[in-house]
Amino acid sequence: MNNDFVEGAGVAPKMLLEALQATIVGQETTLEALLHALIAGGHILLEGPPGLAKTLACRALASAAAGSFKRIQFTPDLLPSDIVGTRIFDQRAGAFATVLGPIFANIVLADEINRAPAKVQSALLEGMQEYQVTIGPETHRLPNPFIVTATMNPLDSEGTYALPLAQMDRFLVKVLVGYPSVEEEGRILERFGGEMPALPRDVVSMADVMRWRAQARAVYVEPRLSRYIVDLVSATRAPHEYIDRGASPRATLALAALARARAYVDGRSFALPDDVRAAAPAVLRHRLAFNYKTITDRVEPEALIGGIVASVTAP
Amino acid sequence: MDFLAPIVAPAAAQQLPRIHVRSFTMSVDPATLRVGETLKLRITARLDENLLQLDNVTLPDLAGFESLGDERRCGTNGRGTLCEETMTLTPTEPGDHTIAPTTLEAIDGRTGKPSRFATNPVVVHVTPAPQANPFALWLLESLGILVFVAVAGYALLWGFRRRRLPPLEPAQPERKPVMLPVDRLAQLLASLAQDPSRVRVLAVREELRRRAGARDGETLGDLVARRAAGGDTALTDALGAIEAPAFVDEPYVVDEVKRALPILERLLTAAAASA
Repeated sequence: MNNDFVEGAGVAPKMLLEALQATIVGQETTLEALLHALIAGGHILLEGPPGLAKTLACRALASAAAGSFKRIQFTPDLLPSDIVGTRIFDQRAGAFATVLGPIFANIVLADEINRAPAKVQSALLEGMQEYQVTIGPETHRLPNPFIVTATMNPLDSEGTYALPLAQMDRFLVKVLVGYPSVEEEGRILERFGGEMPALPRDVVSMADVMRWRAQARAVYVEPRLSRYIVDLVSATRAPHEYIDRGASPRATLALAALARARAYVDGRSFALPDDVRAAAPAVLRHRLAFNYKTITDRVEPEALIGGIVASVTAP
Repeated sequence: MDFLAPIVAPAAAQQLPRIHVRSFTMSVDPATLRVGETLKLRITARLDENLLQLDNVTLPDLAGFESLGDERRCGTNGRGTLCEETMTLTPTEPGDHTIAPTTLEAIDGRTGKPSRFATNPVVVHVTPAPQANPFALWLLESLGILVFVAVAGYALLWGFRRRRLPPLEPAQPERKPVMLPVDRLAQLLASLAQDPSRVRVLAVREELRRRAGARDGETLGDLVARRAAGGDTALTDALGAIEAPAFVDEPYVVDEVKRALPILERLLTAAAASA
């Protein structure tokens, strides 16, 4: 890889970002996280109250990137076969035929993922990790690229099921979606008060996305920076008053991938400490097991993560 | 030494403390200097335990340097310990000196096994001390002889008259020339322009961060955000420009240095103008 790729490298991803920004008012962090996760090849978990355009952002991303999009509304009575598909007996053919489920799309929105029991959530695991699903005796490859964007509502805990840590770990990032500012809310009223505006269409292609991914993987991470990434993740495993379990090595890989994606979108062929520092909270927040004392002592997990990140010396 | 006590032989595993080492690093400031100038070698250990001192630390061989002293401290905030050893050294020979990693032997709290932790190595680039001009030496010698003859003649002339000479004023201690920050940066930039290597890039980066008042381990983003009210755009631009050669892949360091140098030189011009 040489530095020539930097010339104009981030232009196309930025076009996609601008298209998303033209649809969604505010939510800069969410939109950037979607783009970075798309380039880093990871799945994204969005957590926020209802009505903050989480679903719209995912639909806009799929439409702008010219990819197939499926939405699955997670409910307590959902079955694994409702996600991956099933085999039905074709009476005319006298044989079983496979009906592929909604997971077979480039961008899958798992809406309110924590409303379905663990066996349904786990139906996503194989697809998220191995990019394939097994239906009966057959294994089917998922479309490439394949991204799961899941949403969670932190307010209504009744009737929800906590996501297993193994499932959480498979999400590259968890993004907290917050309320818009007063100015942004005014613009939301202007834009969405009347007829629903059209989603951006085919701004880039899935082939573009695959090319970005290949180029982003080649972004250079200097050894001192690699060490910084390892130190950051290791710091979460040190004994801590409020943290029972730290992040896994998958977090180390995720942090490096996300730092590379950020550098790529910025048009650089090398990552900087700021890329790592900026990516760290989103990569770590869903991978740490906070204990009951965070609740009794009213300690904000975000503040704890910020403290850990600040305690590690950047190169 | 209190916390960085060198060990003669590896301590037995059962004697080693069980600790969680968060970071164990070594840095040098400045990384480029001349023979006779001084540098600070800093070894920092961050632990999760609360300790009063840190044992079983082996310092590297400091051949090519003379130690002028050291400072040590170990502080704890109840939730961990920060131990720091700062050695003041002066290089005795020119060249690139690699100071090998400092090691720490302990039971790793994460694995429960006896482990040897090591810092990063550091590289110090030492240039020769300025050479005296032969013409100037000849001139000084000639002047010395003339002064000697004049003083001898004066003594002979006045000695016979037995007049008391006024008491001599006490000699003033010789003052070493003080290197201004601008000079130091200029010197580092000149070295970088001559030899655009990563070592020199890191020396310039360190100096710029020092000038900007960067805290230990602060990223550029944090630093710029904190300094936002400062308004020293030349320094901010220079800090941004030096990041690329500091982190780009090795084959592209030279290209990135070429891009950064005009921005760095603008800082020098601005600093000289304000001085």
